[in-house]
Amino acid sequence: MSTDNDKANDTGSAPLHGLLAEYDNPTALVRAAEKVRDAQYEHWDTYTPFPIHGMDPAMGIKPTVLPWIVFWAGLTGCVVGVGFQYWTSVIDYPWVISGKPFWSIAANVPIAFETTVLFSALTTLGAMLALNGLPHPSHPLDLKRRFAKVTDDRFFLLIEARDKKFDATDTRALLESTHPAVLDDVAEDRVTSDKLPTVILGALAVLTTLAILPFALAYKARVSKSDQPRIHLVPNMDNQPHIKAQQESPIFADLRGMRGDVPGTVAQGNLQEDDHLYRGKLEGGAWARTFPKEIAPSEQNMKRGEREFGIFCAPCHGLSGHGDGMIHERAAALGQGTWVQPTNLHQDYLRQQPVGELYNSITHGVRNMPGYGHQVSVEDRWNIILYMRALQRSTAAAPTDVPESERGALK
Amino acid sequence: MANTDKAGKSPKQQPAQGSTSAAGVTLPNGDNVSSEGLADNVFKIAGAVGVVALLASLGLGVSAGDDLAQFSFSYLVAYAFVLALGLGCLFWVTLQHLVNAHWSVVVRRLGELFAANMPLLALLSLPILIPIVMGNHALYVWTDHAKVEASHLLHGKAGYLNVGFFLGRMVFYFVFWSALSRFWLKRSVAQDLKPEAGVTRRWQGIAAPSMILVALTLTFSAIDLLMSLDAAWFSTMFGVYFFSGAFMSANCLLALAAMWLQGRGRLVKSVSVHHLHDLGKMTFGFVVFWAYIAFSQFMLIWYANIPEETAWYKVRFEGDWKYVAIFLLVGHFIVPFLGMMSKHVKRRRGALTAWTLWLLIMQYVDLYYLVQPTRLARVLEEAPAGEAVNATLPFHLLDLTCLLALVALFIAGAAFNARKKNLVPVNDPRLEKSLAFTNL
Ligand code: HEC
Repeated sequence: MSTDNDKANDTGSAPLHGLLAEYDNPTALVRAAEKVRDAQYEHWDTYTPFPIHGMDPAMGIKPTVLPWIVFWAGLTGCVVGVGFQYWTSVIDYPWVISGKPFWSIAANVPIAFETTVLFSALTTLGAMLALNGLPHPSHPLDLKRRFAKVTDDRFFLLIEARDKKFDATDTRALLESTHPAVLDDVAEDRVTSDKLPTVILGALAVLTTLAILPFALAYKARVSKSDQPRIHLVPNMDNQPHIKAQQESPIFADLRGMRGDVPGTVAQGNLQEDDHLYRGKLEGGAWARTFPKEIAPSEQNMKRGEREFGIFCAPCHGLSGHGDGMIHERAAALGQGTWVQPTNLHQDYLRQQPVGELYNSITHGVRNMPGYGHQVSVEDRWNIILYMRALQRSTAAAPTDVPESERGALK
Repeated sequence: MANTDKAGKSPKQQPAQGSTSAAGVTLPNGDNVSSEGLADNVFKIAGAVGVVALLASLGLGVSAGDDLAQFSFSYLVAYAFVLALGLGCLFWVTLQHLVNAHWSVVVRRLGELFAANMPLLALLSLPILIPIVMGNHALYVWTDHAKVEASHLLHGKAGYLNVGFFLGRMVFYFVFWSALSRFWLKRSVAQDLKPEAGVTRRWQGIAAPSMILVALTLTFSAIDLLMSLDAAWFSTMFGVYFFSGAFMSANCLLALAAMWLQGRGRLVKSVSVHHLHDLGKMTFGFVVFWAYIAFSQFMLIWYANIPEETAWYKVRFEGDWKYVAIFLLVGHFIVPFLGMMSKHVKRRRGALTAWTLWLLIMQYVDLYYLVQPTRLARVLEEAPAGEAVNATLPFHLLDLTCLLALVALFIAGAAFNARKKNLVPVNDPRLEKSLAFTNL
């Protein structure tokens, strides 16, 4: 046959791959395909420059399972998307964002949507390749010169020699009856390797390595320590151009970036009308001598006060309140001339001082002592005083303070 | 495209046989595409039903003695429903011309007939517009001068939201919609009588700027008629939200109309399962698009959590309304999404009929959900803090009669447009390809 035109192949020794019929219009090809289908061949295919409507039924191709594969892949993507967000935001690293619940479905939808699309799309590609047996680096038809026209204006049908029904004369006769423009033998390809070219394999290897790299770097960062400043991958997200505390802002006439409340307004929950509770004062402005009704002298409050005193007051006033806290010891050891010793809280004038005035001292500070109102909550300031009162009592207790049943032990 | 224009000159494209009058034509494939003996009957029956229902609605509305409140809201929902169908069809037809679509030629005339209802829809907007002119404030708070003066927010919007400008915009919308839709129908029918070379190309040129205007007018009409019900609220997504439902329902309508006509012996061979499949795909696509838009609007507002934006959703999760919200999510998206995904569903007439009907119902529910909670929002605004407010669904007989009236009149209008016309543009140069269209 006219293998003369073909590209180099020692055709003499290469076995027959199949019979190739060529047509010059799609209708003829569809007719031929119907004949081959009816003759019940299995290993055969048609090749065209563009998709031809009606070719699937003409070849007897069953609807593909691809949609089902993609459907399940999409569903998997959706579940993975939601599950991953559940794991990160509820289990692994719970973090309140915008006051929303840890797990907010609404926030998960966009990402679940993306993973659904991603899984579906990649699966479509992968499954399509797999179902078609691709990639297929070598094919005997590649050696046929005339087959190059399949990308232009020619339509081909190939019946492979491995088909059970293949018979050199019968098959030829069958194809002959479809009036092909040319009918040709195709020899097996003995020249081209069936392996992927090294260039492509190399490129894949490089890409795979590059893809693993970020994960490797992230892992390294998690298991090792570094004294280098962090790398800002997205600098404008890490350092957002917002006004920080105490900064100037050109937006406002007074250039103050930090804004006070709008005149005549009070922030939610900050009305603080109760003078006794919030300012330690009675009506008329005198210091309150009693605790506000919200602060009951309970064991729980006492414990809380002890804790807060230990945190906020003891560093200066000492755990027992004698004005000998760690900071004072250190300042004294360094001989700091300007240091004022924290007041010994076991002095009579402080024992007599109204609780309201003590509250005021904690809130706003007194002389050299700074205020702690912005750090310690209102309730805890009162709890601290509750505990302070117990401390003062501990160094100036009268025998009557001991329960009657225990008094005998004192004598 | 150049091909098709040349084809228009070829002898194959002589006027279809026997067409001294455009109607009464049989296609080369022997299909009956005439509206003869159908359009008149539909017009009479649907028209009578529509007029009676409309009169009944007006009677019920006036006698309710609530300053037209119930009537106005029920009528607006039903009106938005048919307006969406009309605008959806207008968009659909313009789109087919814009992209020079071949497949859709056999159903395009149906779209043209429905879209050409625009003058009728202008007339039907009067029960909304006349009360506004007469000083009734049942629908739009911003029409009430006293309220506008009292509210800083409304005052700030008064430059746009005022009766004069509103009416002016309405007139502009309807003039444009009527002109464009009548143009498509008229030119297309003229082609039935006398094919003209090169018109496909010219139509495409006209479709492009028209499309931009359709998009703008559709968006602003949605803002004016529906979004301004809650004048303090705004969403930049509202226009496209309304569009998504409009286009989806138009595709449902076209599929249903084609199948109904086939049941009456028309278009039997012309409209194949492939065309229905494509209409089904468009419907399915816009089910998803609706969900995408609806969720995008919701998520942004939910995330930002700004009171002036969340107020709109807050009412719509109040009382029974939250069940409507869930019903929309399930019935307008999840169920049809899974149900219509398979191609077999879209290619089976029974299944396609059921799904398109269902989605039309959901489109009505969606509009009901956009409009009706406004009244609850106003009650809540006036109610003293902490007082329980009735948040059950405000179903009323008027909802039904208004819907019946407007849908019947809409169908009657399309039937009126179809009199003495073919149901397929028989001389469109793309018809041959459309008839041979397959999509598998
Ligand atoms: C940074 C060290 C420091 C801390 C912390 C501190 N104080 Fe003081 N406090 C002082 C100093 C110094 C004085 C004496 C100020 C002076 O006389 O100028 C003082 C004085 C006082 C006085 C006497 C006020 C008066 O009327 O004479 C009281 C009561 C007091 N502190 C209570 C507290 C309590 C309660 C806390 C815990 C909330 C606390 N302090 C935390 C340094 C501190």
